[in-house]
Amino acid sequence: MPFDPTVLTSHLDTLLAGAWLTAEVCALGIAAAFSLAAALGVLAVGRGWAGRLARLYVDVFRNVPFVVQVFFLFYGLPEVGVYIDAFWTGVLALGLVGGAYGSDVVRSGILAIEPGVVEAAKVGGLSRLAIIRRIVLPIALRTAIRPLGSVFVNLVLSSSILSMITLDEVTGTARGVASETYRPFEVYAFLLAAYAGLTYAVSLGIDALHRRLNRHMADNGAAPGVIHGAAPGVAHGAMGGTA
Amino acid sequence: MIAVEGVVKRFGAHTVLDGVSLTVAPGEVVTILGSSGSGKSTLIRCINGLETLDGGRITVDGLDVADPRQLAQARRLSATVFQLFNLYPHMTVLRNITLAPELVLKRPKAEVDGQARALLASVGLAGKADSYPGQLSGGQRQRVGICRALAMNPRYLLLDEVTSALDPEMTAEVLAILGKLATRQPGGAGTAMLFVTHEVEFARRISTRIVFLDQGRLIVDLPTDQFFAADGGLAHPRIRQFLSKMAPAAPLAEIPA
Amino acid sequence: MRHAGFTWHDGALLAQGLGVSLGLFAGTFLIGLVLGSAAAVLRHFRVPTLGTLLHTGLELLRNSPVLVQLFLVFFGVPALLHQPLTPVFAAGLTLSANTAAFVYFIAVAGLDAVGRDQVEAARAFGLSRVQLVRHILGPQALAFAVAPLVGLAVNQLQVTSLVSVIGVVDLTKAGDILNLRTLRPFAVWTLVGVLYFAAAKTLTLLGNRWERRLRAHAAPLGL
Repeated sequence: MPFDPTVLTSHLDTLLAGAWLTAEVCALGIAAAFSLAAALGVLAVGRGWAGRLARLYVDVFRNVPFVVQVFFLFYGLPEVGVYIDAFWTGVLALGLVGGAYGSDVVRSGILAIEPGVVEAAKVGGLSRLAIIRRIVLPIALRTAIRPLGSVFVNLVLSSSILSMITLDEVTGTARGVASETYRPFEVYAFLLAAYAGLTYAVSLGIDALHRRLNRHMADNGAAPGVIHGAAPGVAHGAMGGTA
Repeated sequence: MIAVEGVVKRFGAHTVLDGVSLTVAPGEVVTILGSSGSGKSTLIRCINGLETLDGGRITVDGLDVADPRQLAQARRLSATVFQLFNLYPHMTVLRNITLAPELVLKRPKAEVDGQARALLASVGLAGKADSYPGQLSGGQRQRVGICRALAMNPRYLLLDEVTSALDPEMTAEVLAILGKLATRQPGGAGTAMLFVTHEVEFARRISTRIVFLDQGRLIVDLPTDQFFAADGGLAHPRIRQFLSKMAPAAPLAEIPA
Repeated sequence: MRHAGFTWHDGALLAQGLGVSLGLFAGTFLIGLVLGSAAAVLRHFRVPTLGTLLHTGLELLRNSPVLVQLFLVFFGVPALLHQPLTPVFAAGLTLSANTAAFVYFIAVAGLDAVGRDQVEAARAFGLSRVQLVRHILGPQALAFAVAPLVGLAVNQLQVTSLVSVIGVVDLTKAGDILNLRTLRPFAVWTLVGVLYFAAAKTLTLLGNRWERRLRAHAAPLGL
């Protein structure tokens, strides 16, 4: 059976419907992950019990495979009376794990901020919330945008695992097409290239965004680049358990 | 009035401030001199609440800075200019200046913007309102830092070694602005200034009073002319030693003149 | 609903699954380490065509889901070549290649971090390429790469959990089997999660110790 990609054309609409579902679950998951990452990142810097709790959360979600997390949410929770459908389980799972990885990035971004900048805001009389919202997070997110982008790219790759809880996102539909056409190689090779193309495009976009957001941040405040050294574990693709 | 009463500050086993008392009345220009590590900057950081006290009391117009509520009030009365500028790197020059007046003093945006632009013009940075700190030279950044502090319309301006990170040329441009600012005070109800500096000649020109810190203790608190008088501050060996080291350009013999 | 209690056979099943997961991880990580580093060295010496080809292929592997890679190898390759693969072989092949991709990019960064001046100095003293890699580039690049490698190891350990989908009885598959028998998914997946967590933390601990030792030697180089 020679390599013949044309078998895919008749199933393109099915695959596109799956791709659309992937896009939806990822968009919502990334939004959830981003908010959670920012909140946890701020908390995790703290020395008190909230900080310890945030770091424990990150530890747990970074050290348990994503599949197991998903199975726990989808199959385990109903046993204690919590029912969430496959789609929202997917959003929740992506948000929870992405929040954990992302918060580490945000945390190192915060730790890299010049302390004097925060002090200036303090003596200016800004409230704690205003300092976090207007000074700390904007600076930390600027320097963290690239590693944060890697986390989100990995979330997209991880979303393929949601096919294991009956969600018909693009990997799930591809399985159907593969068994229907008896052309698994063509189907999966195409899918692999599609994911790679997508993530490549996303990382290009993130690089551009990073350059744009940091174009004025020359040598004042947090130095960009510190992050990459500070959080090697979050470097590209490191969310292995999930990818 | 800023009233510092018997303040003690320790870092671990090291006592940085050891029973320091000092007042700054409205309109005064007070300079704190002392060698490195004498606790000058720490004193400023205690007054604006960046450090907690291990003893004594600091009040700003009667507000105790050890109390979080009162500190929040006190911070509306004073403003700080920092040694390393500490500008917000992600905001334009204009936004750096207007942020606290808008958020903390709740002043209308248009009014604050207008004041900020006027302040920038007065320090020769009219064209830099929309630049970012990273695009400015050190001297320009510090001038923005001064504008940021002045936009709070503070009763008390705290200046913490504001020229020590600058080269001589930039130091001159910043000192010129501060000098103008200080002489504009009629000695009445204007903005009081509390300087920590190494620029002895400058301190002498603009200060109404000079205090000297030595190893965490305040050993002299005198009007400027008396501080430089042979039977005043110069009677102290530590001060003579300090002045001879700090101001090689202005030899001791000339100082009483 | 029929509830079967946990028995001690279940413990044996989980232990066996954990063993398979750890074994698969150890084997594929070692192979990936060797292949990825070799590819990085090839790139460093700018071997034409082969270098570019490897770079593109590994970039593809790094930027696609491991699950899809597993499907491609386990279902796709046999269909194309009419050559059935065992689940364990397919899993081993996929994870090794995937690990190699990540190792490659870490190693490239490590090699690039070693100054060109040192390479030139070594060349000037007449060191061969092999000697250069072994004595100059390798040790310094390793000191630079060790932290990301430890992070990668922890992640690749977790990635092994995906092989259950092609029928390898690893820890996750063992949990699946246990779950079907006892119908206690909450307890089962919590337990499986705890086992993975313990394994990952142990690995981190070992990795950090190794890192400290390496860095102690590399310290005089200012790395």
